[in-house]
Amino acid sequence: MKPMSRRRALQTMGLAGLGVVGLTGCRFVGETQTVTSGQAPIEMWTHDPGYAEFFTQAAADEELVGGSPWDFDVNVTSVSADGVVTRLITQAVARRPLPDMAGLEIDQFARMLRSGIAENLLVDLTSLADQHGENLLRTEAYSSEGRVFAIESDNCISVMWYRQDLFEELGIPEDVETWEEMLEIGAEVAADGGYAIGMVSNSGTAVVQSFGQMLLQRGGSFYDAEGQLSVVSEEAVDALEMMAEGVRSGAFLSMGDPYGGATAAALGDDRLIAIVMPNWYEAYGLQANVPEQEGLWRARTIPRFSGGGHIASTIGGTAFGVVADQPLSDAAVDFLDRTYLSPEGQLARYHAGGYLPTLVDLYQTNEFLSIESEFLGGQRIFEVYGPAAEDLPPYYQSENSPQMREAFAGPLLNAIHGNVAPEDALQAAADSYHRQVDE
Amino acid sequence: MTSRTRWTPYVFISPFFILFFVFMIVPVGAGAYLSLTEWAGLGTPEFIGLDNYRRLMDDPVFGISLFNTGFYTLCALLIVFPAALLMAVALNARGLKLRDFFRMIYFMPVVLSPIIIALIFGLIFDGEYGLFNAILQALFGYAGINWLTDPLWARVVVVILVLWRWTGFLTIFFLAGLQGIPRELYESAEIDGAGPLRRFFSVTMPQLRPVTAFIAVTMLFNTAQIFEEPFLLTEGGPGQSTVSIAMFIYRAGFEQQELGYAAAAGVMMFIIVFVLGLAAARVFGVGRSNQ
Repeated sequence: MKPMSRRRALQTMGLAGLGVVGLTGCRFVGETQTVTSGQAPIEMWTHDPGYAEFFTQAAADEELVGGSPWDFDVNVTSVSADGVVTRLITQAVARRPLPDMAGLEIDQFARMLRSGIAENLLVDLTSLADQHGENLLRTEAYSSEGRVFAIESDNCISVMWYRQDLFEELGIPEDVETWEEMLEIGAEVAADGGYAIGMVSNSGTAVVQSFGQMLLQRGGSFYDAEGQLSVVSEEAVDALEMMAEGVRSGAFLSMGDPYGGATAAALGDDRLIAIVMPNWYEAYGLQANVPEQEGLWRARTIPRFSGGGHIASTIGGTAFGVVADQPLSDAAVDFLDRTYLSPEGQLARYHAGGYLPTLVDLYQTNEFLSIESEFLGGQRIFEVYGPAAEDLPPYYQSENSPQMREAFAGPLLNAIHGNVAPEDALQAAADSYHRQVDE
Repeated sequence: MTSRTRWTPYVFISPFFILFFVFMIVPVGAGAYLSLTEWAGLGTPEFIGLDNYRRLMDDPVFGISLFNTGFYTLCALLIVFPAALLMAVALNARGLKLRDFFRMIYFMPVVLSPIIIALIFGLIFDGEYGLFNAILQALFGYAGINWLTDPLWARVVVVILVLWRWTGFLTIFFLAGLQGIPRELYESAEIDGAGPLRRFFSVTMPQLRPVTAFIAVTMLFNTAQIFEEPFLLTEGGPGQSTVSIAMFIYRAGFEQQELGYAAAAGVMMFIIVFVLGLAAARVFGVGRSNQ
């Protein structure tokens, strides 16, 4: 036998390696057998243990799932918020098992808008959402070309949280109408005692979140309904000017991490006496960091901008989508409908994790209106959330939302710190964005 | 020679080549190809030629990340590297007690979880409630440095973190090198009238050259791919001011879902690191004999 040359041996091994790689991509893919009734062990991925707990309880709650052709059970896999989307894609590409339902954090959903990922991976839930018409809020952020692909868990209504005891002590009226008046008072109490009536976050891209909250309240938006950047506007200039003025006068604290130790310290030493944040901040921000201040905090709708806008705003959110072409896809849609879009499900969700209803008419029902918050000194919190929900601004996003956050972070900070005029900062950010997204 | 004996050496060396091919050549080739496509992760990548590279050249954030990575690398070489050497020399001093204890202490930052380090550094350098500003306030009556929210200072804090984390680790390598230098060389130099400085430059540095070369090149590779420090400490902020190339790639791939674009940035990083590595290897004489 002729001896094999070294080159030949390496070529052979190379081909063998290619063969191994090629074979790993081949596997039998069977046909999907849709389960139309009976046992439905729903596989779910979520980053939040609160949702895991709610869905597990809901699967056994006859009031919620009674009458369904399926007998639900929920197996939850805990995955980080970005990991849910990353793993959905990689598993789909590798044709590995996918969950039946996935919790999609609002910023991560923007990734699924690219190249039709949402359309390819998720069940179109438009018909489910359409049954409720305009009564169902926050569908626009999880939509692509007019089709809804996930149902929001929580309205994430931003209101103003404030220390009633300190407001009273400092003579700050609890019903100040406008931000302009509020800032004036804020500047005075900052100069007199170092108090702050708000906070601007400035770490990483969190400043964009802070700005976005103000922008939406003022009536502006990062994107329009068609997904086009619409942030260079009079509303954006007003919002940015207000933030810059607040930081300049000391009315607003400029903090690194809005959920970190420094913010907790500012709350704990009575320096930060008011803050605009969504409903979940009551549990994750206030109760978690300053439990000893129970009974001292209250909530109210946000003071208006004198130029117009809303009395509420929004940050964050997590919606649940149903993965398409799974044996239990139909069962998962039914499960989602019963647990997320029924009044009983919305009430159960609120009691399980404080998730606000997404059906706006529920805010006026006795079940919700009678809820009192112990942490807020027995305040009937839905008397605040009700009007806020009716005036909640829409939140649109685009596949380029991540690039937008990056492009805007630096210029916004510059404007907030008074280094450039808000108009110039916004224009610079928009220019940078257009260069990044290659439109 | 029988057929079996002819094959034997190839069988023995084949595991490395198979693994190298599957886990290195294939991914690198796939990455290079992906860099010429537009792909979000699902569906078929669309070939777009060099568009991703053109876009990179025009992307201001990529420019910032290049600058930042260069800044971190330069600081690592100009600050961390000499600091490690000086600490090693100090630890190598004759008669030093508790040498092992100090060595362990210097090594600890490398073993600690970067997440814990970032959390602690975040608290230390917080502008409003940080320890550092409190100390500055107590000593000088001024605590106005926005460590993590001012672009320049945020970069400095990242460098401080790199310094804190890696100096002790590199010190161990230098110390090992120093302990290998024969005492007689120092004694001869002393007899010849060489002072401490002269001994350092004429005995220590030449004898440490192989170790120095290894550390310098390793440090260059590591810092050019820096990710954890800015990612955990500042998330690349304020704005984009502390983003590194590795962070840029991560964001493009896993936050913006632009895998082709991320691959193009990866290829750029590979070329830059490769060229820098070659240059450093040549400058420091890696792989060459001491003669």
